[in-house]
Amino acid sequence: MDSLNIPATGRTPGVTFDFAAGHLRLHGESYPDDVATFFGPIFTALRAYLAEPDDRPIRFDMELLYFNSSSAKVLMNIFQMLEAVAKLGRPVSVSWCYEENDESMRELGEDFSEDLRYVAFSLRDVPSGAIG
Amino acid sequence: MLAQQYAAIKRDLDEKGIVFSFSGYLSEGILYSLGEALREKMTLEETDAPTVRRVFAVFVEQMQNIIRYSAEKVTGATTRAIELSAGMVTIGMEQNKVFIVCGNTVHNADVPRLRERLDHLRSLDREGIKTYYREQLREEPEDGSRGATIGLIDIARRASEPIDYDFDVMDAERSFFCLKVRI
Repeated sequence: MDSLNIPATGRTPGVTFDFAAGHLRLHGESYPDDVATFFGPIFTALRAYLAEPDDRPIRFDMELLYFNSSSAKVLMNIFQMLEAVAKLGRPVSVSWCYEENDESMRELGEDFSEDLRYVAFSLRDVPSGAIG
Repeated sequence: MLAQQYAAIKRDLDEKGIVFSFSGYLSEGILYSLGEALREKMTLEETDAPTVRRVFAVFVEQMQNIIRYSAEKVTGATTRAIELSAGMVTIGMEQNKVFIVCGNTVHNADVPRLRERLDHLRSLDREGIKTYYREQLREEPEDGSRGATIGLIDIARRASEPIDYDFDVMDAERSFFCLKVRI
């Protein structure tokens, strides 16, 4: 399946989904003017990728510096999709990056990971300015 | 006369500690530009990064609430892309804390539900707000809400004090709604 690459803009995240390598990454900031329009094609691609019979590991790097509440709902959906394939036995790891002084982002990571049972979730603090 | 009138408005804003204010039709484009200006200004003033982020996050949620829910708006017939909504946003300093006040017109019929949500948020402590956020993150949005509940929880979560709100009845149909958040 082809990779999905969307460059970051001031208010939409950069998307690098390298499906062949099983490596998915979101970075930058997310507060699109229309969440459904921006994330629609991303969901379509992700759903198709996860529906393929494949048990190779998936690594998801969550490197957003900021996301608004409508993006939060979308991220939660992505996590639930990953949890569903992990439950069926596919190894999935999620790395939630936050800048070391960003308490809000760390707490959000805890909120999102709360009901992940099969996805291997890790919180990773990085120096200020290291992500984005 | 002209300068005097506007100087009076400016003085009134200054006295209230308001450093930034906008009143009129708001759109996603204006949100973006004002948001960038706000971040640049705070960064130049060497505000610490977590505070800049919290102010910015509250600003975005408040602005999007106005854009989506103001009772006074102009929309294109087929798309949300040109949604223009009347409202105001002011940001200021008070007792060494940044505050953001947003105001917009709402339908009187929507007031009880909004009041109920805000009172509920005000009644929660930090842990309660966090739990409520976690629940709402996993809920389907209510009909017609376009995610308003989680937006308000996100605001309450980033505030350092319980959020303040008020309504001023304008006529039989509409009220002016104000929300004040201290970071």
